[in-house]
Amino acid sequence: MSTKPSIASSAFSRRGFLGFAAAAASVPLLAACGGGSASQGGGGGAAGTIKFWDMPWATPAYNDAAKKIAEGFSGANGGKASYQIIQWNNFYQTFSSAIASKTGPAVSTGGGFQAFQFEQQGQIAYADKVIDKLKANGQFDDFLPGVLDPFKSDKGYVAVPWQLDMRVFWYRKSLFEKAGVGLPTDWPSLLEAGKALKKVGAFGFTTGAGAGNNYGNHSMIMMMVNNGGGVWNKDGELDLMNDRNVEAMEFVLELVSNGIVDPAAVSYTTDNMSAQWKDGKAGYGLFQVNVPQRVGDTSGDLLVADPITGPHGDKATIVFPNNIMMYTNTPSQEASEDFLVYYLGQLKELWKQKLMSALPVFKSITEMPEFADDPNNVKIVKDWQPIAKTFAAQGKTLNANLAALDGGQALNQFSQTILTGKADAKTALQTFQSGLESVLKK
Amino acid sequence: MALITAQSGLSRARRGVAPGGAGGPANRKSKLSAQTSRTFFWLLLPSVVLLVLIHGYPLIHAGVQATHDGSLIQTGNFVGGENFATVLSSPAFWKAAQFTLMFTIVGVFGSWLVGLGLALLLRTKIPAGGTFKVLLLLPWVVPIVVSSTAWNWLVATPDSLIPSLFRNLGLGTPLFLADPNLAAITVMVFKVWVSFPFMMMMISAALASVDTTVYEAASMDGATRWQQFSQITLPLIARSTYISWILMTIFCVNDFPTIYLLTGGGPVSATTSLVVLAYRTVFQDFATGPGVAIAFLMTMTLVVISVLLYRQIRKSSVE
Repeated sequence: MSTKPSIASSAFSRRGFLGFAAAAASVPLLAACGGGSASQGGGGGAAGTIKFWDMPWATPAYNDAAKKIAEGFSGANGGKASYQIIQWNNFYQTFSSAIASKTGPAVSTGGGFQAFQFEQQGQIAYADKVIDKLKANGQFDDFLPGVLDPFKSDKGYVAVPWQLDMRVFWYRKSLFEKAGVGLPTDWPSLLEAGKALKKVGAFGFTTGAGAGNNYGNHSMIMMMVNNGGGVWNKDGELDLMNDRNVEAMEFVLELVSNGIVDPAAVSYTTDNMSAQWKDGKAGYGLFQVNVPQRVGDTSGDLLVADPITGPHGDKATIVFPNNIMMYTNTPSQEASEDFLVYYLGQLKELWKQKLMSALPVFKSITEMPEFADDPNNVKIVKDWQPIAKTFAAQGKTLNANLAALDGGQALNQFSQTILTGKADAKTALQTFQSGLESVLKK
Repeated sequence: MALITAQSGLSRARRGVAPGGAGGPANRKSKLSAQTSRTFFWLLLPSVVLLVLIHGYPLIHAGVQATHDGSLIQTGNFVGGENFATVLSSPAFWKAAQFTLMFTIVGVFGSWLVGLGLALLLRTKIPAGGTFKVLLLLPWVVPIVVSSTAWNWLVATPDSLIPSLFRNLGLGTPLFLADPNLAAITVMVFKVWVSFPFMMMMISAALASVDTTVYEAASMDGATRWQQFSQITLPLIARSTYISWILMTIFCVNDFPTIYLLTGGGPVSATTSLVVLAYRTVFQDFATGPGVAIAFLMTMTLVVISVLLYRQIRKSSVE
């Protein structure tokens, strides 16, 4: 009688196994270099159809409405537009592989700095003629102040903004009443309010830098910009070690050491952050537009705070002007331009149906009752939008390098270092500067 | 004397020879006929062609990317081994390699130990064993996005369930994902939790093929429970064990979602593995060449490890 060989061992050959092992082992390689999805025909599907790719900017209802708008386009020569949703996961890879294989869109929304990345690679069609058409139809004058300027490069308009992802301070009114402290107006009063909130079990500088959460990064840059600093100088050169940045980070470290920042914030996802706001643990902090809707507390207790003033009198926040770009690979550049002008003209529908969780770029939309009925929205437009600067601050125009900054490893590690209080401001900034330099050289 | 008898019996048992068995060589391969070889060749050809197409092209493309300074769209200029030199001289790479090594060691042997224990337990007659077995498979079956969300809910904030439990027991409030050391431990424990059902299945299958009369013989020869386990069970499941180790090593080294969904590689790179580093380098820093170079180095290392472990399998087969 002999022991039965296992199925695994009897069916096991050296070559077979090595083949399988090699295939499995090559997964990281394939993952790193593999292409994303690509679909039919470059820039256009059926003859003359403009392919418009859009992101899931809000709930599925948003994409339904955007699709309806896009498919309602009728060009001068009977041209049409098709609509496709591109998921955020690996979106840059999806766009890159589609563009490389000439199966990409003619027009798209996308990442905040994506247009500049593809412009650098010669894939973007400049929007100067679109701007001319907007001037002709009166929409140009409807832009909120300053929103178009960051898109103007030496060669032309790289993209056209359509919504503003603004970072503003929010607060929970009842917690401030409970703590018996006034709203911060400057940095010392922010520190004071944070200490008072801590006594009632809440945090006075709510943020998060966990998996996929960029609010911690944005909080750091916002505090630098709020102190007249920033990642770049006015000439667009890397300038992290300036005194204003050091001062700002020393202040944030003071907030950390005083327990005003949640010690677990470094690992918080956006859902964790939302839960902190909903559960009354967050008293004050930087967040996006529409926080009550996002966290599920529309009781009126969550309100937009006033902008705070830095120690040298600066008052600023950061904004991400999301934009629509056109690609050189299109069935008709004129049709792309017509589509973009048409789409911008229809944007009001999205805010009218209350589908957006960002600010519009057009004054006329901010005046619509569907938008202006919310006092938080009005306050953001009135008090925050005029002082908002982009990630390019103190520089003026956006560029491809910002993509490596926003969400890149250097900034993420810097934010986490500050939030854990593991290094002093100068050391953390120096490491950040070195990390960013090594990436920007590429 | 009894010991000598027991060892003799155990020796026979290890070779898979039950009492009275001849103990001669088993399953010696016979040479395939030319006709059979040709049939095998044509049957295998489509798979081989598909494999070459699916893996060959990306591998070549990755090789090009790793030796150029371009982007995902443009190849860029040829830079030779510069990307590899950049990666190998980067402290971030070595830190990630160190974490990957720890993650893999804990992931492989942690899940193997838990899987082995449970497989042995399930071999005994326990009430509702079938239900128990199905429940134990859940960590492997549940999508990783769901389980990572559940783990985040359990440990992320000071008021989450497990930190609250620690606090109520007077053990302080551990920040499982915010403290770099605890985050590394949490991710490894999560990996073991996700992976042990796979090990349990592999070992259960191997144990099922072991003839129980071998144990009866060893028992009659006076072997203790430990001797039976260490000198019969472990040697007889050695091949399956080595195979599962190889597969789990590959799973651990390549594991992106377990780490990325729970910690994103943080805090401060404490849980950044090589695959996470490769991803972040390519898609967040947009440094395609160095990112693909990291992936290349990982692949080469995995192939070497796989070959070494495979040799171990052959060695165990000969024994």
